[in-house]
Amino acid sequence: MRRLLVGLTAGSVLAAVTACGSSDPGGKDTAGSSGKATTVKVGIVPVLDVAPVYLGEKQGFYSDRGLELELVPAQGGAAIVPAVMSGQFQFGFSNTTSLLVARSKNVPVKAVANGAASTGRSGADFAAITVGKGSPLTSAKQLEGKKAAVNTLNNICDTSIRESVRKDGGDPSKVEFVEMPFDRMPAALDGGQVDAACTPEPALATVKAAGGKEIASNFHDVSPDLTVAMYFTSEQFAGENPELVKKFQEATAESLKYADSHPEEVRQILSTYTKIPATLLEKLTLPRYPAGPDRPSIERLAELGERDGLFEKAPDLDELLP
Amino acid sequence: MRGSDAALGAAGCAVFVLLGEAVPRLGLVDEDHFPPAGRIAVALGSELSDTAFWSALGDTLTGWALGLAIAVSAGVVAGVVISVTPYLREVTASTIEFLRPIPSVALIPLAVLLYGTELRSVLLLVVYAAFWQVLIQVLYGVRDVDPVAEETARSYGLGAWARIRHVLWPTALPYVMTGVRLAAAVALILAVTAELVIGAPGLGARIAVAQTSQAVPEMYALIVVTGVLGLLVNVGARAVERRALAWHQSVRGEVAV
Repeated sequence: MRRLLVGLTAGSVLAAVTACGSSDPGGKDTAGSSGKATTVKVGIVPVLDVAPVYLGEKQGFYSDRGLELELVPAQGGAAIVPAVMSGQFQFGFSNTTSLLVARSKNVPVKAVANGAASTGRSGADFAAITVGKGSPLTSAKQLEGKKAAVNTLNNICDTSIRESVRKDGGDPSKVEFVEMPFDRMPAALDGGQVDAACTPEPALATVKAAGGKEIASNFHDVSPDLTVAMYFTSEQFAGENPELVKKFQEATAESLKYADSHPEEVRQILSTYTKIPATLLEKLTLPRYPAGPDRPSIERLAELGERDGLFEKAPDLDELLP
Repeated sequence: MRGSDAALGAAGCAVFVLLGEAVPRLGLVDEDHFPPAGRIAVALGSELSDTAFWSALGDTLTGWALGLAIAVSAGVVAGVVISVTPYLREVTASTIEFLRPIPSVALIPLAVLLYGTELRSVLLLVVYAAFWQVLIQVLYGVRDVDPVAEETARSYGLGAWARIRHVLWPTALPYVMTGVRLAAAVALILAVTAELVIGAPGLGARIAVAQTSQAVPEMYALIVVTGVLGLLVNVGARAVERRALAWHQSVRGEVAV
């Protein structure tokens, strides 16, 4: 009994010591120190869109500029935005609508680099509205009165699906949206819980492999060159570390350019940080990785967001964009 | 007796695995969404040969063990201090009942804000969930102290510490052990959940990556691993309980049968 008590006490002391010692936040001793590499933590979502930073890290685009990337996979913006705002991460990855919503709520996010964009080809985009095998639906207009799955309500998926329906001559207010994670959508389509789903890769390839079909390219319908996601930081960090942010921007732009011209290497790097099965990997439609964000497409997305009531007040794009 | 128990347990597992194989094969659920046990086993094999898997397992166990150690020591100390101080008991009673039912998962945004996606945010959730299990058991345990024994100890001139050591602690220990056993399981659940939702490194984060990658067999393989971990944690906690309470009639009685 005494041994147990001693053991517990020793364990707790050890725990307290290691808990304090193990995790110094990275990137504290930053700001332009000469020679030594600066570690920056980037919160990412382990999907196709972030392949360029992995590739750029491998190619040395960041280390050439004295940046050592620490890519931290997180589960979506809910975890990334607060971590960037509190300085746990120096940069983060987020879809454009989420950044617009954050900005409209006066969360001081500042986009610094482009993430990924629509392919510019309708019917061959990296995300699409899909229906399950044998579904009678063939066009966006027919979604009236039907259930469509989106990963987050009041975000880029439902805004873009509404635009697809509108462009097809339908009434978007008649579509019912259901929230579920992307990875559950193929099963939900098969099981008939939803009639259609907003599926980016690899869910898109999974749905197609199971006999499902695309009925519209919702991102393309917003704008052929839609900037779907970007890397961002906090206004405070950008103000205090202009040099570092500039280096990150340059390195990311170079990485994006490299990824855009080396699709085979993108597929290869995907197998290192995702677990996408090899059979799906070849079938994926990759997004485009333009070096900079496409402002007109973001304006369009903001307009649509405003129309759908996503914002309390219109976001100021000059404040958001680099 | 023990042999036949083990055999029954193994038979139960075998039936479960067979069901897992048969249900998708018979087409009751789609193979793409729920792969047969055989395919899960193959995926499990390739996981086990991956060093990244072992470091993820290490991360999860670290979060679990540290969180459990902190929660148990804090729970025992707080429980004893609260119980032996009458005012403190009155002051804390309603606060404890208010805080206890708050699901740890609801604290995720706070954890991320404070600690990002690091081990410390996992610890926050694990400790919060496991602490109450221990604390409540300690409070109940202390309440169970025999007043005659307590008075006897007093009249023999035992000091506060000696009474805690010789009267209160032996009475509370069976309760504490129950608390530890419950906390061990809860801590594991929360460690994996925190990794899954926040993305802190560990088995949970690996499950999340497999999910977003549509790697269904790998996902179930990792879920099987967490299940096995839970089983081991339970067996381990029972073993500790049996050793620590070897003198207690509940355990002595168990052995005699």
